[in-house]
Amino acid sequence: MGSGAAIAGLGMTELGRVYGSSPRRLAANAVRAAVADAGLTLEDLDGLLVSHGMGGSPSIELAETLGLRDLRLLSLMSAFGATAGAMVAHAAMSIMNGAATTVACVFADAPLQPKQSAGSAYHRNAKEYYGFGGMTAALGFRSINAFYALAAQRHMARYGTTSEQLGAIAVSTRQWASMNPLAQLRDPITLADHQNSRWVAEPLHLLDCCLVSNGAIAVIVTSADRARDLARPPVHVLGWGQGHPGHRKERGSEFGLTTGALASGPIAMKMAGVTVDDIDVCQLYDCYTYTVLVTLEDYGFCAKGEGGAFAATGALAPGGALPTNTGGGQLSAYYMWGMTPLSEAVVQARGAGGDRQVARNDVILVSGNGGILDHHSSLILSPHAPSSQGA
Amino acid sequence: MDIGVLRRDGRTDPFFDGTARDELMIKRCEPCDRWFGPDATGCPGCGADELGWARACGDASLVTWTITHGRDPDDEPAFLALVELAEGPWLHARLDGVTGLREGLPLVARFVHPAEGEAYLLFSGTRRSPQ
Repeated sequence: MGSGAAIAGLGMTELGRVYGSSPRRLAANAVRAAVADAGLTLEDLDGLLVSHGMGGSPSIELAETLGLRDLRLLSLMSAFGATAGAMVAHAAMSIMNGAATTVACVFADAPLQPKQSAGSAYHRNAKEYYGFGGMTAALGFRSINAFYALAAQRHMARYGTTSEQLGAIAVSTRQWASMNPLAQLRDPITLADHQNSRWVAEPLHLLDCCLVSNGAIAVIVTSADRARDLARPPVHVLGWGQGHPGHRKERGSEFGLTTGALASGPIAMKMAGVTVDDIDVCQLYDCYTYTVLVTLEDYGFCAKGEGGAFAATGALAPGGALPTNTGGGQLSAYYMWGMTPLSEAVVQARGAGGDRQVARNDVILVSGNGGILDHHSSLILSPHAPSSQGA
Repeated sequence: MDIGVLRRDGRTDPFFDGTARDELMIKRCEPCDRWFGPDATGCPGCGADELGWARACGDASLVTWTITHGRDPDDEPAFLALVELAEGPWLHARLDGVTGLREGLPLVARFVHPAEGEAYLLFSGTRRSPQ
């Protein structure tokens, strides 16, 4: 199996309200930047994994755009917000079993149009609606916010989770964002700001909801042996896992109460030879504050139902016991699906976080979440190579 | 409430045949004695890819809810919910005139017949629910 796989390059385009480039062009620029970051050239790539996006995102024709030839691995991957973790895992496995040596994984999207509100980019509105599914939309289920609000409200009703506890996550995430020059929102907020922000879908306030961003992010995955000789310190991929709970819409469903992190976390941690107590930093998919809360519970950082109380202790904030979403996450920095937590994990593993660099970065947990809590991926990353002695 | 105009899609027409006569029609697998939502396409129990339509009694209970707000403060908030039908399936639904929201709150299907388009379904409190 060799020395395992590592992330050797990270490339990010300008992120946010960035117009004028198609997702395909953004993706190509991110791959070029990631390759350069690693100290490689495009000719060194023999694998390309492309994430799907909202619309207009590139597929495998990106290889042609980049002029890549003689690839050994080329696929479009689709697991919604869990795709970034799934791409890195697929790349790592391909490298470890010899199918490829150097794989770019890229996400690009440009759902925002000039003069359009962020919310409307993910919103459907029509004069006429068709069929039973159309009735659901016509009655008011016109954006993802409402579905996540149902999940959050169920957690609140069952466990006593409060809006103020969700607000603690919004506040701590913004604290981190204030130290990230790439974050779209950097002005500190208070719990009162959170409480006073307008309702989107009760119990979710505006400040419980993520941004919408245009842009692209790519990473380069290669063997740990090769990564050691490249431009950047290797970020070792120690473990990965997925969880797709398939909650049914029927009596007895755990929708809103548990997520795929219940499955994907233990698989990834076991593979990496770590437990939840070994995790130094979390980069969690934070499409909503509630997503962070329920993910922390399912990973086992606290008991089921105590995620709100855990967040309210300040553990996730700068100086806290479990630094979480240290770049400002999707809530405050940029929304690049699973590439948001993954990119910040790479920054922290390299010790390149500047003012926001955490003191301990030995074991970093990265989550991806897709659909309405339907799909989940976990990665365990580290600046240290896996120890064959089992340190 | 103005929800736009509802049209049939050729796949869930029996549902709208039902709403037209104030009946809630959902899917059912007879051999497995299992009920599903109107948009189910097969039975995960026996693998049957054809499910029949059957009338649900219309009784339900509240699973969870949200009140959505538009950007325009003049927009009427929408009370949306997941409801559990007495037969077991969950539906994404809209509540009408329901107060005292709580898990398990009893609800009953109600049908609205707009001037244009198909009749649709709302859920209201039962007489036993606190109003």
